[in-house]
Amino acid sequence: MTSRTWLHDMNPSLKFIIVLVSMLTLAWFFNPWTPLLFFLGVILLQLLFSRVNWKVWSLFMIPIAFTAIGYLWTTLLFAADTSGHVIWTWGKFEVTNTQWNTALSLSFRVFAFSSMSLLFALTTDPVKFVMSLMQQLRLSPKLAYGVMVGYQFLPVVKDEFILIRHAHRLRGVGEEKHVWQRLLGMRRLLIPLLAGAVRRAERSAFAMEARGFTGERRSAYYEPISINARDWLLATIIMVLLIGSGVAGFLLH
Amino acid sequence: MLKSWKLKEVVLMSVFAVVFAVVYLLFVQVGNIWAGVIGPIAYEWIFGIWFIVSIICAYIIRKPGAALLSETMAAMIEVMIGNAVGPRLILTGLVQGLGAEAAFAATGYKRYDWWVLCLAGVGSAVFSFAYGFLVSGYAALDPSLLVLMFTLRVISGAVIAGLGGKYLSDGLLATGALRGYSISRDTGKNHKIKGEVIG
Repeated sequence: MTSRTWLHDMNPSLKFIIVLVSMLTLAWFFNPWTPLLFFLGVILLQLLFSRVNWKVWSLFMIPIAFTAIGYLWTTLLFAADTSGHVIWTWGKFEVTNTQWNTALSLSFRVFAFSSMSLLFALTTDPVKFVMSLMQQLRLSPKLAYGVMVGYQFLPVVKDEFILIRHAHRLRGVGEEKHVWQRLLGMRRLLIPLLAGAVRRAERSAFAMEARGFTGERRSAYYEPISINARDWLLATIIMVLLIGSGVAGFLLH
Repeated sequence: MLKSWKLKEVVLMSVFAVVFAVVYLLFVQVGNIWAGVIGPIAYEWIFGIWFIVSIICAYIIRKPGAALLSETMAAMIEVMIGNAVGPRLILTGLVQGLGAEAAFAATGYKRYDWWVLCLAGVGSAVFSFAYGFLVSGYAALDPSLLVLMFTLRVISGAVIAGLGGKYLSDGLLATGALRGYSISRDTGKNHKIKGEVIG
């Protein structure tokens, strides 16, 4: 089915804006239905229009579930609005229906936000994202290519981190027991890592300038990224889902 | 704004952004798991970690925009690595960077003493709390809990981002890697650089 690649092919800048708009809109809703419906809708969209690896998706979602539980009980304990009738008591502690709804809403919001984030993260190529930001959203080429250089160094940074850890262990630097000791101990890891980063930054900047990179905007790109009709269709579908779950939230609440 | 920037300064920010993007994501994981046990307040005392790159870059490069751009770049790289917080991190990064930038702008980009760095950490804390108030639905929480969360975040911003950022940058300065950046020119005159061996 070809429609399963649609979200992967969608213009990254447009997808980015749609994700931000959905999140900023959802932030105004405090009923449990809107975020829940939106969450389910996003999953449906991913089933229809993407080839998301659901195993990876679940791995990302597990820590999110912890956060959602945290929000649930914090809001139950510390709700600002404690009106409504009591639906549950435990000793001196009472939960009203308003409290319960707000708490559920905030937890579902965590899920709705994460599903939207994962929709973006699991269907977007990072390099195309930056190139699209430069071509569609007028991000400065100096910054765009700067970010690309950094991104290419990611595996090097990881290797260097392991190397420094090994070097420390060889010289008998043990693991600290206390949390604050470990925080201070991060300096031993970070300083050589950052010093190496400074040197790499200088070398790459020099190499880029030696090859004629000026940071000026160009009129043509090696890999042009465009927005087409299907991108707008997908954006519209997500917006309809957003408005739909907003309205349904009001009606069901 | 970028006209006066040398490419090596932009790339330096980006490479630092990568190192700290990894650190940030590690702490998001730590925060998420703790948040299940003690609620959203779990993030507050470590919140300063997420402001640190803007303070380090502003302290080293000393140009208008360093705090804002570095934090935004770190957020962009976090999004490129891929995580469950997602694209809104870029917005978060922008807001936090603006908070730190405001503090440096208030001093006319002339002073980079420890208290200015702490102020920048506080600036990030205040801006990010206002943003969190909207996005994370803090409005639904009890004001007394909010006051506690806010206080913790401000302290964390000042101590972890402000003092921690200075501590790391000074250590880096002592390695001699920062020759050719503003921090070496400005501090070389009036401070003795301790020749400690690090690494």
